[in-house]
Amino acid sequence: MTREDILNDLSVRFKDDIIDVFDKSPKRVYVEIKPESIVKLVSYIFKDLGARFNIATGVDTRQHMEILYHFIIEDINLLVSLRVKLPKSKLEIDSLVSVFEAANWIEREIHEMLGINFNGHPDLRRLFLSDEWPEGVHPLRCDYKEWDKKAIRDRGV
Amino acid sequence: MSLKLKALLKSPWVFHLSTGSCNNCDIEILDCLTPRFDIERFGILLAGSIKHADVLLTTGSCNRQSVVRLKRLYEQVPKPCLVAAIGECALSRGMFIHSYNCPVPLDRIIPVDVYIPGCPPKPEAMIAGIVKLIEKVKAGQKRKKK
Amino acid sequence: MIYIFYLLAYGFLLTAVIGLLASWIDRKVTARVQYRTGPPVLQPLIDIVKLLGKETLIPRGASKLTFLTAPVIGLASVILVSTLLWVNNINSHNSFLGDLIVVLYLLTVPSISIIMGGFASGNPLASLGASREMKLILSYELPFVLAVLVPVIKSEFSLRLGEILSFQAQNGVVAGSLSGFLALVVAILCMQAKLALVPFDIPEAETEITSGPLIEYSGSGLAVYRLMKNMLLFVLPFFLIILFMGGLRYDGIHLLNGVLKYVGLMALITVIRNTNPRVRIDQAVRFFWGPMTVIAVIAVALALLGK
Repeated sequence: MTREDILNDLSVRFKDDIIDVFDKSPKRVYVEIKPESIVKLVSYIFKDLGARFNIATGVDTRQHMEILYHFIIEDINLLVSLRVKLPKSKLEIDSLVSVFEAANWIEREIHEMLGINFNGHPDLRRLFLSDEWPEGVHPLRCDYKEWDKKAIRDRGV
Repeated sequence: MSLKLKALLKSPWVFHLSTGSCNNCDIEILDCLTPRFDIERFGILLAGSIKHADVLLTTGSCNRQSVVRLKRLYEQVPKPCLVAAIGECALSRGMFIHSYNCPVPLDRIIPVDVYIPGCPPKPEAMIAGIVKLIEKVKAGQKRKKK
Repeated sequence: MIYIFYLLAYGFLLTAVIGLLASWIDRKVTARVQYRTGPPVLQPLIDIVKLLGKETLIPRGASKLTFLTAPVIGLASVILVSTLLWVNNINSHNSFLGDLIVVLYLLTVPSISIIMGGFASGNPLASLGASREMKLILSYELPFVLAVLVPVIKSEFSLRLGEILSFQAQNGVVAGSLSGFLALVVAILCMQAKLALVPFDIPEAETEITSGPLIEYSGSGLAVYRLMKNMLLFVLPFFLIILFMGGLRYDGIHLLNGVLKYVGLMALITVIRNTNPRVRIDQAVRFFWGPMTVIAVIAVALALLGK
């Protein structure tokens, strides 16, 4: 299937889930979808199209939080990024562990760094932060403040 | 100068300790130990175990997980021991100065004797730094005697 | 009373001085081969003095007595062997029956002391290095004993070192005959393994990964081990010179001859050390139980036939 075929097929099949399709370059496509339909879309892309899961990234903008899931379809050299925008009042989304096992650790990392809750994740513990880090403090958020009284945070040591 | 310290300065065995670096300084340390720069003429050998070490070459900015391990390792080095901080990250956390995971610079955790700047420092700079360390220890002893 | 003098002066001091010089020669020649200058002359001595000045740390899981006495046992056996060899070299009537067997037994004790030190450390890496040393000992002892059997057969089945020396003084060195030469080649390679030098330094010198059995030693324990290894660098070639090349004689021009024999063996050790990679433990065992034993058996058969 070529690139145009895949994009037409997606927009026809998931008409009410896709909000926007952005063609950045011949090799990259950003597809923005609603948070409720992530599992449906990912199972289609992963199982039926045969794409490979690359990584998931998360960012905290001032209005909302975004998660991007990057999939690569290797035969036609295409990178499809699924963008999910979460409002700051309701930071949760379904977990992708039921579709493929590789989502386990990356969702743990997004949870401890940004504070997004993944429903249905079997084991949502801390991955990289040290044991003395307090609960509920997420470092990559916009409004992160230093909690450690003994840390030295000035320039010019 | 006491015989113990004189012998230590003439045959310092180095141990390479990385507390979470990007590995660039580690590659340059490895370059420094190759036959081209020949530091064996100063008596410097690479020690395999930390209990054989005299000079600790520390690289990397110390993040929270490695603070615990660094303290434990520093207790296991037989004293007298000298510490050299190599690279910008070990001096003052470098570009990670505002990072959430590097709270303090390295010399608040273990006592550092010589600082070698650079990102990464050239092997010639490291050799010059070790020579300055030896001069500093000799001068410190002379001042103590007076 | 004269024997205490022999023990201290010849057994310990002279062997230590020559051993440290030999270690320096080895490091300097290695440096020159790699196109660099090497360390100064007193460097091995300064290493040992520095190590004596550092504190000794004993790990919590180690058995203290074995940990601290293992290096001393190794050093004591090397001093004893070197005393025996010097006494026989000076005056070949001083030997007693079976002192060759005593020397062979005592020469296994340094390796066993490293194994003891490794297992007493309580560290899994040290146990791994010590078990590799055990496998290495099992492999090279067989061709070594077979190779030592050849001078015994040649000097009319006598087990005294003094008689082997005086036989060679009259009838020419053992290494001159075909069987003696083959046995000397086997013995040199087994000596390389006993000294734990490349290509057979699997157990001890993995300094790029761990330090083998010596990983937990610091301060005076390590100084004693290094002194033991440096003295072994003199004692083992001396043993081979006595058995195969007629010993060191000091009258007139023969002194130069003796020094050349020792320096020649040291040069051979350094050349083998610098031109070979390290082998795995199973390759070493296969090497010693395969070609080396076959050559040693051929040498013994030729010696029995009188060649």
